[in-house]
Amino acid sequence: MSRPLIRMKGIGKSYPLVSSGVSRLRTVSSLLLGSANIPHYAALQGVDLELMRGESLGLIGENGAGKSTLLKIIAGVVKPSDGYLEVNGSIGALLELGSGFHPDYTGRENVFLAAALMGLSRSAITEKLESIIEFADIGDHIDQPIKHYSTGMVVRLGFAVATAMSPDILITDEVLAVGDESFQKKCIRWMENYLAGGGTLLLCSHGMFYIQKLCHKAAWIHQGKLHQFGAAGDVTREYLAYHEEKSALAFKQKRDGQKPSAVSQGVYAMRELWLEDGRHQKISRVAMGRDVLVCGRLHSPDERPPVIGLGVVKADGTPVYGTVSDIDDFKPILLAPKLYGFGFHLKELPLLPGKYFVRTHAMDPEGLRLFDTMECELQVTGQTRELGLCRLPHAWEGACGTATEQHQGK
Amino acid sequence: MMNLWFYRGLALNFFQREINGRYIGSVSGIFWILIHPLALLGIYSFVFIEIFRVSLPDTGAGGFVAFVALALWPWLAFQEGVVRGALAVQNNAGLVKKVAFPNELLVYGAVCATYAVHGIGFLVALGVIALAGNALHFEALPLVAIFLLVQLLFTIGLALGFSALQVMLKDVEHFLTPFLMIWFYATPVLYSTSMVPVSLQQLMSFNPLAYSVGRIRDMLLHGSGFILSDGAFLLCGGLVFVFGQWFFNRLSPHFEDFL
Repeated sequence: MSRPLIRMKGIGKSYPLVSSGVSRLRTVSSLLLGSANIPHYAALQGVDLELMRGESLGLIGENGAGKSTLLKIIAGVVKPSDGYLEVNGSIGALLELGSGFHPDYTGRENVFLAAALMGLSRSAITEKLESIIEFADIGDHIDQPIKHYSTGMVVRLGFAVATAMSPDILITDEVLAVGDESFQKKCIRWMENYLAGGGTLLLCSHGMFYIQKLCHKAAWIHQGKLHQFGAAGDVTREYLAYHEEKSALAFKQKRDGQKPSAVSQGVYAMRELWLEDGRHQKISRVAMGRDVLVCGRLHSPDERPPVIGLGVVKADGTPVYGTVSDIDDFKPILLAPKLYGFGFHLKELPLLPGKYFVRTHAMDPEGLRLFDTMECELQVTGQTRELGLCRLPHAWEGACGTATEQHQGK
Repeated sequence: MMNLWFYRGLALNFFQREINGRYIGSVSGIFWILIHPLALLGIYSFVFIEIFRVSLPDTGAGGFVAFVALALWPWLAFQEGVVRGALAVQNNAGLVKKVAFPNELLVYGAVCATYAVHGIGFLVALGVIALAGNALHFEALPLVAIFLLVQLLFTIGLALGFSALQVMLKDVEHFLTPFLMIWFYATPVLYSTSMVPVSLQQLMSFNPLAYSVGRIRDMLLHGSGFILSDGAFLLCGGLVFVFGQWFFNRLSPHFEDFL
C-alpha cells in the first residue's frame, strides 16, 4: 500500500526532427544501434512526480505545454526518452474518444475491440456487454456502424467501455467536454463513485472546475517542464492568476501604446499606496475574510484636498468594486504641506482567493478629472470551491418552496 | 510472451477484423478468396500452354495447371502476407498512437488472416484437382501443413521488419512491389527447379521460398516424406521470425514519434 501508484523521475520526451530522406535513414540506424545523437525537439523535460493510490491528478497548462505527452507516457503509448517510470496498477486510457473504434463496424462489435485493446478476454467482455450498452444509452444505434454516429454518441460509447473496465488508473484527455448535459452529469457521478471506491483519475483539462472538483493534486506543465505540483486548489489558482496577469499585461501594453503614461508635474498625483492588516503590518497577501486597510498618500499642488477614486480589480482587469471618496463625503487629511493621506477599511474581505489589484486614482477636488493612477497587488488566500469574484452574504434555507423541490448545489 | 497471452483476445480480434474487413461491403464477399488466384492461374495456363506451348519435364499427373496451382497458393499467401503485414502498423496509426498494446499483434493478425484465407483456397484447389482425376498424395498433408506453418513464421518475421521500417521510411511500400515480383520469378512456381541451370540452382537454394514452395509441390505430387534439409528450412523460418521480432521490438517504442 505504501508503494506509489505512479512514480516518475526525470521523465523527458524528445521527438526526432526528420525532414529529408537521408536524415530519416540516419535516424533509423541510430535507433537500431541505440546511439542518441539524433536532432530532436524536447517536448517534455525532467518531470518528477509521485502519486499514491486514490490521489487523483489534474494536469493543467497551456496548449502545447506537454500535458498530453505526459499522459501518453503514463498510458504507455509513448516511450519516454529519458527518466524512470514506474506504474503499479492497471490503466484505462481515454486519450481520444473513439480511438480504437473502426467506423465500418457496429457499436457492439467495436465494444469488443475496444475492450480487447484494454486486455479483456472475450468472455469477460460478454459478461459486461449489457452494462456497457446500458451506460452508453444510445438505444438501437448500438447495432449501427459507428460511422453513422454523432460525435456525442461515439463519446458515450467510449466512456461506457472505460467505465466497465474499472481500472486502477483512469486517464482522460479533455474528453468530458463532449456529450450532452445529462451524459456529462452521468460521467461526473460515475467518476465520483469511482474515486470514492479508491480509483485514481488522471485528468487533463482546461476546465479548472473539473480539476478542483475531481482531483486532489494538480500539476502545472509549462513549456515541457513541471512548473508546479501540489494541492489542486493552490495550483489551479496560481495557474488562473498567471493567465489573468498575461491578459492584463496584453491589455496594459495596448493601453500604454495609445496614451502617453507620463504624468505631468504640478497636478494631483498619487505618492504612495500600501496595504496593512488589522495590526498595521504591511502586507500583500491576506486570508479571505480578514480585515484589510488600504493606505495612501497624495500630492496636491494647490493645497486643496483631492478626491480619491479607489477600486479593486481582478488580476485580469475585471472590475470588482469601485467608489469615489466624495460619494461618502470623505476628505483626506493634511499630513504635510501639499501631502494628504487616507485609509480605506475593507472589513472581513469577501473576495474569493486569487490575485487582485487595489487601484487608486488622484482626482481634482471637484471629483471631475482624473490625474493619476497607482495600484498595488493583493493576493487573497484560502481554500474554497466557490466561484466568481466575491462571496455574497448568503444562507441556505431548507423550508422554502414546495415540498418536492430540493435545494441544489453543494 | 506472457504479455501476448494476456492479449490473446485482442490478437483474435485483429485476426477476425482482418478477414471481415477485407470483404465487408463487397458483393461477392468471401469468393474473392478464390477469384484472384484463379484468374492468375488462368492467365499463366493460357500464356504458357497456348502461346509458349511449354512442356515441362516433371509436371506429374495433373499437367501444367495442377503443377502451377500447387505452388501458386503457398506463394500468394507469402506475397500478400508480406505486403499486408508491412502496411499493418501504418494503416492502424490511429490505434498505435492512442492505445497501448503490443503493436506486433497488428502484423500477426494481417499475416495470419492472409494465410488462413489462402489456406482455405488451397484446400479447395486441392479438392478440385483431385476430383479432376489427378492422384495427389493426401497423406503428405500434415507435413505440408507444417511447411506452411514454418513459411508463416518466415513471412511474419519478414513482415515485422518491413512494417517497422515502413513507419519510418515510406519507401518500403514502393520497394515491395518490384521486390516481390523479382522474388516471384526467382521462385519455381511457373517452372521446376530441375529446369534451372545447375550454376543457378546453387544460388536458388538460398531462397527459402523456393525451397518451401518446391517441397510442398513435391510432397503433394510425388509423396516424398521428411528429409534432412527440411530441418534447415525449419531453422531458417524460426530464425527469421526471431530476428524480425527483435528488429520490430527495437523500433516499435518510437512508432508514435513518426506516425
